[in-house]
Amino acid sequence: MSLNRKLITAFALLACTGALSAAPHGDVEAGKTKSATCQACHGADGNTTIDGSYPKLAGQYATYLSKALHDYKSGERKNPIMAGFAATLSEQDIADLAAYFASQSGDIKDLSHLK
Amino acid sequence: MKSITRIAASLALSAAALQAHAADGDAAKGKDLAYTCTGCHGVTGYKNAYPQYNVPKIGGQNQAYLVAALTAYRAGERSHPTMVAQAQGYTEQDILDIAAYLSSVNEGAAK
Repeated sequence: MSLNRKLITAFALLACTGALSAAPHGDVEAGKTKSATCQACHGADGNTTIDGSYPKLAGQYATYLSKALHDYKSGERKNPIMAGFAATLSEQDIADLAAYFASQSGDIKDLSHLK
Repeated sequence: MKSITRIAASLALSAAALQAHAADGDAAKGKDLAYTCTGCHGVTGYKNAYPQYNVPKIGGQNQAYLVAALTAYRAGERSHPTMVAQAQGYTEQDILDIAAYLSSVNEGAAK
């Protein structure tokens, strides 16, 4: 392999890594600070919602929480309350909030124990 | 006359009771219907392919939220292809039953 080839390969690999890490890393502590607004409806523990029509978030997968917030922000998922909040969130905010609620423990479980 | 009033009152009461039951959903019926759900929601860490994210945990989730989610998929307001297809196969009562069951399943499960 020529030096040129090697360099091209190295840059291509770097570019791929960059694309993979485009989503910011979520910080649980930062998410806790940012979650004050969320707590009003979803509960301080993320598990005690003020209304049954609001989901429990504690222990939910961070990737799913991130997907939900992105969908509210883009309008893909329509909910007037969540659209308002999600519109103000940066990519880092979403990652932090998702990491925080995922780190809590609550009632929700996958259904693997039923199989 | 008095007895007619009484009959009417008791009929009204039973109608209300029936409605309350429908709104609650029947968890036993929901259990049969929810077997399909375990195909994806019963695999720990299972991921949706594109875009990639974990299939959400739904056991023990709030009943009314589950009803809202399934109803939105059924109406096409939420757009996940598999969930829309599943939800469109359910009646309103099926959705209530499934939600009643799923919201109850975390009880006794390891946290």
